[in-house]
Amino acid sequence: MNTVLLVQSLIGGIIMGSVYALLGVGFSLTWGVMRVIHISHAAFGLIAAFVAYGCLQRWGIDPIASLVFMVPLLFCCACFVYRFLILPVTKAREVIVSSMILTFGIAIIVENIMLLIWGPDPRLITTWYTSRVFIVGPFYFQYAPVAGFVMAVAGVGVIHLFLKKTYTGKAVRAAWQQSDAAQLYGVNLTRISMITFGLAVGSAGAGGVGLALLYSFEPHAHNLWLIYLFLVVIVGGVGNVLGTAAAGVLIGIITGLSLAFLPYQWVNPLTFGLLMAVLAVRPHGLFRSEV
Amino acid sequence: MRRDFVKGVLVFLLLVGFSAAFCLQSAGAQEKKPIIIGGSLPLTGEFAETAKWIKLGMEYWGQEVNKKGGLLGRPVEFKIYDDESNANKAVTFAEKAITVDKVDLLFGGYPGTAARAVMPVAEKHKYVYVSMGGHMKSFEQGYTYCFGGPPLMGEWWYEGFFLWLNSLPPEQRPKRAALYTMNNPIGASLMSSLYTWLKKLGIEIVIDEKYNLPLPDATPLVVKAKQMNCDILFSNGFFDDGVMTIRAAKALDYNPKAIVQGIGSVIPAWIKELGPDGDYVFSGTSLYNKLKYPGNDQLNAYVKEKFNLPGYPVYFGFGYCWMQVLAQGVEGAGGLDQTKIRDWLKSHEVHSIAGPMKFDAKGLPAPINFCTQIQNGKVELIWPKDQATAEPIYPKPAWKK
Amino acid sequence: MASVCPTKTAKKVVGIALLSAILLVFPWLGPPVYFISFLYTVFMFVCMASAWNLIGGYAGYLSFGHAAFFGTGAYAAAMLTKAVGPGTASNLLCSIPSGLVAAVIALVVGYPCLKLRGPYFAVITLCFAFVVQLSVQNLGVLGGPDGLWIKGMDLPVETGRSILYESMLLLMAITILVVERIEHSKFGAGLRAIKQDEEVAQTMAVNAPRLKMGAFALSAFFPGVAGGLHASYLTYIHPTIVFDVNMSILIVLMALFGGGASWLGPVVGAVLLSFINELLSTFVKAELARIIYGSLFIVVIIFMPNGIMEFIRKRKQTGSPH
Repeated sequence: MNTVLLVQSLIGGIIMGSVYALLGVGFSLTWGVMRVIHISHAAFGLIAAFVAYGCLQRWGIDPIASLVFMVPLLFCCACFVYRFLILPVTKAREVIVSSMILTFGIAIIVENIMLLIWGPDPRLITTWYTSRVFIVGPFYFQYAPVAGFVMAVAGVGVIHLFLKKTYTGKAVRAAWQQSDAAQLYGVNLTRISMITFGLAVGSAGAGGVGLALLYSFEPHAHNLWLIYLFLVVIVGGVGNVLGTAAAGVLIGIITGLSLAFLPYQWVNPLTFGLLMAVLAVRPHGLFRSEV
Repeated sequence: MRRDFVKGVLVFLLLVGFSAAFCLQSAGAQEKKPIIIGGSLPLTGEFAETAKWIKLGMEYWGQEVNKKGGLLGRPVEFKIYDDESNANKAVTFAEKAITVDKVDLLFGGYPGTAARAVMPVAEKHKYVYVSMGGHMKSFEQGYTYCFGGPPLMGEWWYEGFFLWLNSLPPEQRPKRAALYTMNNPIGASLMSSLYTWLKKLGIEIVIDEKYNLPLPDATPLVVKAKQMNCDILFSNGFFDDGVMTIRAAKALDYNPKAIVQGIGSVIPAWIKELGPDGDYVFSGTSLYNKLKYPGNDQLNAYVKEKFNLPGYPVYFGFGYCWMQVLAQGVEGAGGLDQTKIRDWLKSHEVHSIAGPMKFDAKGLPAPINFCTQIQNGKVELIWPKDQATAEPIYPKPAWKK
Repeated sequence: MASVCPTKTAKKVVGIALLSAILLVFPWLGPPVYFISFLYTVFMFVCMASAWNLIGGYAGYLSFGHAAFFGTGAYAAAMLTKAVGPGTASNLLCSIPSGLVAAVIALVVGYPCLKLRGPYFAVITLCFAFVVQLSVQNLGVLGGPDGLWIKGMDLPVETGRSILYESMLLLMAITILVVERIEHSKFGAGLRAIKQDEEVAQTMAVNAPRLKMGAFALSAFFPGVAGGLHASYLTYIHPTIVFDVNMSILIVLMALFGGGASWLGPVVGAVLLSFINELLSTFVKAELARIIYGSLFIVVIIFMPNGIMEFIRKRKQTGSPH
C-alpha cells in the first residue's frame, strides 16, 4: 500500500477543506442567525484576495498581515450593505428566497466591478514562503497551504469563542434560538444582525485570502468557491460553527482519499455523490444546527 | 387576474416592438459605408481573460486597416456581443449578427465548445467563419464555410515538441512519461498525438490520468509521478491547474527532464504570475510572436508600447491573424459575397503572421506547429530549427530553492 | 379566482387566443431568423421556469439542479435520434421520450432527495446536477469530453428554426396549461399545503411524499422535452453547455423574480429577464451590462420582495375599494 501518496493526498485535502470551512463559517452564521443566504459571500472573500494581492505587489505586505486592515474594512462595508440592502429584505414573507435573489444581484455587481478594476487576468500570490516546504519523515508540508490551514483553525476558533464567551456573541446565539424572547430581554435584533453580518463578511475576507494562498483566482472564481461553500455549510449543519469546520475536514478527507485511490476523473463526481448520500442519510447535515 | 394578464401582454408586446424598432434602426444603419464585422466573444465570465486578448488583436487589425484606407476602400467596424461565456448565447448572437445586424463578415469566437456550436450556424447561413475551431473533430463535420486560420488544434499542439524530441539522440530522451490531462475537448484532442508519438519514440506511458476541472489539489499528482520515476511530465491543463502542478512540483522537489504544459502556459499571466518558477516549460503553439513572417515585428512593437509586454500574447495574434486571413479572402474575391470569399480562400494561398497557409477541403491549413520553451521569463521558439530563437534548455535544471 | 364573471373570462380567452395567434404566425411573416431563435429561447425558459414552479413555487422545494433534467433530455434525444435515424420528424418526436427519461430519473433521485427539506433539498439537487454533468463528461459512450454532434433537420435555416420555434411554443403552451390546471386542482392545493406546513398537511390526509414525487417528475419532464428540442437547435451538445449550473440558477431566479405563487409569475419572470438581458447585452458595454443586470435584482427585490406578480396583486387589492 502506498501510504506516502495516501497521507500526502489527505494532507492536501484536509488543508483545502479547512480553508473552505473558514470561508463557510460566516456564510453559515448569516444563514443561521438571519435566515439570509448570502450568495455574494464568496465574492467579498475574493475582494480581500485581490486587495491582498495588490498590497503584496505594491508594498510587499504579507497577505495574511493585510487582513489586519482588510477584515475591519470588510466589516464596515458589510454593515453598510446590511443597513441599506439586506435589512429591507428581511421583512419579506420568504426571507431565504428574497435574500438569495438580492445577494445574487450583489454578487454579479461585485464580480463585474472587480472585472472593471482588476481585469480578467488570473492572479497568483507569490510570497517568500511560496513553494517552501518542511519535511516530516517522507511527507512534505508546503508553507503557504499550511499557513492557510493555521489561519483557518485560528479563524474558526476565534468565531467559536466569540459566540460562546462574549456578551455580543451570546446575544447572537440568543437572537438565533429565540428571537422574540431575546428582544424582550433588550437584545437589539437589528444591531446584532448587523454585527453578525459584518463579522461573517470579515471572516469571508480571511477565507478568501486563505484560498488565494492555495489557488490562483480571477474575478469569476467566487462562483466556484460558492459551490464548495454550500457543501461545507449544509453538510456541517446550518449555523453550526464547529460543524462547518468538521464538514470542511470531511470533504477534504473524501477528496484526498479519492485522489489517492480513484482515477482522477471520478474524484469530483464521487465527492458530490458521497455528499448526496450523507445528506440522504442525515437530512439536516451531519451535525444539528445550533450556534 | 385579468388586468395582470392584459398588463403582461402589453409589456410583452411593448418589448417585442422595442426590439423590432432597434432591429430596423440597425438595419437602416447598414446602408452607410463601413464594413461591419460581427459576432460574440465571452467578454465576461469564465473565459473573459482570453477573449480580452482576441478582442484587442482584432481591434488592432481594424485600426491598421482603417489607417491604410480600409477594406475594399471601406472602413471596417466591429460589432462585438458579450456571450457571457455561454455557448447557447454565442449561437443566438451569431444568428443576430447574421440576420439582424446583417453583418458583412463574421469573426471567430472562443472557446472551442462555443466555436463548435457556432460553426454549424455559420455553415447554415453560408457565412465564412475563420476561427480557431474546436479541434479536429469539428473540422470533420463536413462544413465548407469554416476555416482554421490558424486553428487551435489539440491534435497538432505537441507536434513541434515531439519533432524536436525526435531529433535528440535516443539515450538522451526521457524514458517514462506521466500524462495528466484535463477532461474537456482540449484535453481529449491532445491525446491521439501523445499516444502515437510516445510510442514511436519508445517512451513508456507510466501514468495516464484525466481530471475534471477544478483540480482540488495537485500534490498527489506530483507525488505519484515522482514515485513512479517519470522523467517527463505532461500537464495538459489550463492556467489554474497548471500553476498548481508546477508549484507542487517545485515544493516536492520533483525534477523531471522536461515539463510540458499545454494550454495554460501560453497566456501572459503564466510568466507574470509564476515568475522564474514558470521557466523551462515546453509548450506548443500554432502562432508565435517571434516568427519571421512579415507583420510580427509591428505587432510586437504595438504590444510593447501599449501593454508593456515583450511580445504579443498568442490570443492577441490569433484575433489579428483570423481577420488577416478573412480580409485576404475578401480582397481576393473582390467583394463581400460569402461563397466567393470561401471559394477564393479554398483555392489560393494566404499570407499571414502565422506564415503562408493553403486551406484544404476541411478548411484547414497544412499542420503547423511550433515548439516553445519559457527561458528567463521569455517565450522562446525552439522548433522548427529555421525559425528557432533559442536553444532548448534540456534537461530542465533543478528547482532553485 | 372562483368569482371571475363570464365576460371577464371571455375577454381573457380572446386575449389568449389573440396572443397565441400572433405568436403562431410570427415566424412565417419572414422576420430575421434571430428573432425566431430569440423567442424560441424565451419560450424555452418560460417552459422551464413554469415547470420548475410546480416543485419550487407551489411545494416550496427549491431545486437547484433542473439543468440536470434539461441536459438529460438533450443527451437522451441525441442518442435516440442516432438510434432511430435522424430526420426532422424523428428529431422532434424523440424529444418526448427524452422528457420521459428525465422524468424517470427525477423519480429515482426524487425518492431519497425529497425527504430533505428547505436548503438541504436545494443543495442535494445542486450536487445531483454536478454528478450527472461530470459523469456524462466521463462516459465515452455519451461522447465524453468531446460532446456530441447531432445530425438531421436538413432544412433551410428559416424553416428549421421556425419548426423548432413552433414546437417550443407548443411545449410552452402545454406546460403553462398543465401548470395552470394543477394550480387550481386538488393536486395544487396539496402542494401548497405542503409548502405551508408539511406535517399539518400530512395529518389532513395529504399524501405528501406521493404529491411531491409527482410534482418533481412532472417538473422534470418538461425541461427534459425542452432539452431534447434544444439538442436539435444547437446541433452540438456538450456537458458544459446543457448541464450549465448557471442555467439551473437562472430558472430559479426567473420563477421567483416573477413570483412563485401563481402560474403567471414564472412566465412574467422568464419573459422579462430574457428580454432585459438581451437588450442589455445589445446596447451596453459588457461589464456595465452585467452590473445593471445585477442591480435589477436588487431593486426588484427591495421593492417587491415577493416577486413581481405578488406586488401587482397587492397593489390592486389595496387600490380597489372592496
